[in-house]
Amino acid sequence: MSRVKSSIASYETKCVTSDANNIAHNGKSRTVGVLALQGAFAEHVEYLEACIAQHGYPVHVMPVRTAAQLERCDALVIPGGESTAMTQIASRMGLHEALARFVQDPRRSVWGTCAGLILLAREAADAAPAAAPQRPAALVEPLKALEVAVRRNAFGRQAQSFVATCDFSAFLGPSETQGFPAVFIRAPVIDHVIDPERVEVLHRLAGADGAPGTGPIVAVRQGRILGTSFHPELADDTRFHDWFLRDFVLGDHK
Amino acid sequence: MSEFKVKAGLAQMLKGGVIMDVVNAEQAVIAERAGACAVMALERIPADMRKSGQVCRMSDPKMVREIMAAVSIPVMAKVRIGHTVEAQILQALQIDYIDESEVLTPADKQNHIRKSEFTVPYVCGAKNLGEALRRISEGAAMIRTKGEAGTGDVSEAVKHITQIRAEIAWAKENLRTAEELEAHAKELRVPVELLKDVLSRGKLPVVNFAAGGVATPADAALLMQLGCDGVFVGSGIFKSSNPDKLARAIVQATTHYEDPMKLLEVSTDLGDLMAGVSIDSINKGNGIRLSEVGW
Repeated sequence: MSRVKSSIASYETKCVTSDANNIAHNGKSRTVGVLALQGAFAEHVEYLEACIAQHGYPVHVMPVRTAAQLERCDALVIPGGESTAMTQIASRMGLHEALARFVQDPRRSVWGTCAGLILLAREAADAAPAAAPQRPAALVEPLKALEVAVRRNAFGRQAQSFVATCDFSAFLGPSETQGFPAVFIRAPVIDHVIDPERVEVLHRLAGADGAPGTGPIVAVRQGRILGTSFHPELADDTRFHDWFLRDFVLGDHK
Repeated sequence: MSEFKVKAGLAQMLKGGVIMDVVNAEQAVIAERAGACAVMALERIPADMRKSGQVCRMSDPKMVREIMAAVSIPVMAKVRIGHTVEAQILQALQIDYIDESEVLTPADKQNHIRKSEFTVPYVCGAKNLGEALRRISEGAAMIRTKGEAGTGDVSEAVKHITQIRAEIAWAKENLRTAEELEAHAKELRVPVELLKDVLSRGKLPVVNFAAGGVATPADAALLMQLGCDGVFVGSGIFKSSNPDKLARAIVQATTHYEDPMKLLEVSTDLGDLMAGVSIDSINKGNGIRLSEVGW
């Protein structure tokens, strides 16, 4: 993991400088954008770059802040952060419509973690209805691509944040270390799947009684779209990013 | 270890964002709507504390609770340096982050809070590498520059981020042997392992925000260009003539800190900004420099 821990700044610089060379990529190489409006975007860039360096994938990673940058991407990762802040920032610069078009495009793959999952969802609601009457509605404007209903801050506040060791080997594949450290920070959950024909539930946490796979839904897939409530970009483990690159970006789920 | 990951992880989610000081639920809602990634709940903004000359303490939990109920973004609140009980109270309130802050009147002139004994995460101010690492080794999961709160003068925040980066660069360049590392760690009063970790990363091991004196979108972008991960804005927003517009402008500037055309757009027609107090006008005779509080 030494690569993952090396400087984020140098990765960002590298992405920006190599950007111009990759606009006219050949048919086989892919560009993955990481939405860089607010949140933990540098971590995703770092983990994706580590996978690419390790396996030599023909993939280029770039931070995305404008519609023009988004247009160059074949895939997009929407990171953790605050979904209210990302919505406001995107709306003010006309990026929200471009994002909505991008995530609906069947040729493009998308992954949202935490706030990113909220933004990808068909419906998003606050866990507790806001107490203050002056609070305006629709601070989060979901992109309505993933047919699920998401509940924000479903576990509560930061005091209820936690790390759960999860077995994702069913889709990540077998590995020497079975458990994956899933970091949940003021995390949302998938309250229910709206279209069970299209959405595959990848993982549920243990239920209140400790029974595995009976608790909240925390990872789903809808063809080319991946949504996770937790933060694989904080796991010190690149298996999740590697799977996204192999199966969603370079695979044939178009 | 997983507990620290959860503490530091929330700070990672705040990166690229703006954390705004608010004194009531109404201001908190304005901040959230403007795109703030978190709010700092406090009774008086630093500019007013500075004028008051009174003892400044933790805010009444009643107002903090009202703010927590009014917004869906994380809420932070300040405790006095070394005031373990104010911190216990805020932890019981389930605040999302505690700022052990030099802006309030210190409760303990020798020791900071032993932050690793708490489950709530802490952010602390620092004006140089030693201070940042002492706070991290006490358990802080996020660092901010001290700057000079309540002035609208950005120069101290610039000085502090530049200082921290210069000290890391110097140590990387000059500390070669185990003995030299040991000696430098001792000088900074920090564990040598922590110093080694910083040198291998070339940066602090936790998120580092700018704070203290940020008043304009250009100030926010300047600190981002200097390498800060995000920005705290205190008195600047609600001391201006159009807080809503200025708050939005600072949020946009923090995202697009490298894009002069966008910065031009958001810096235009903001109305009257905070008049402020220049650092050089504050001397021992007429006030204190808050950045000199803490040790």
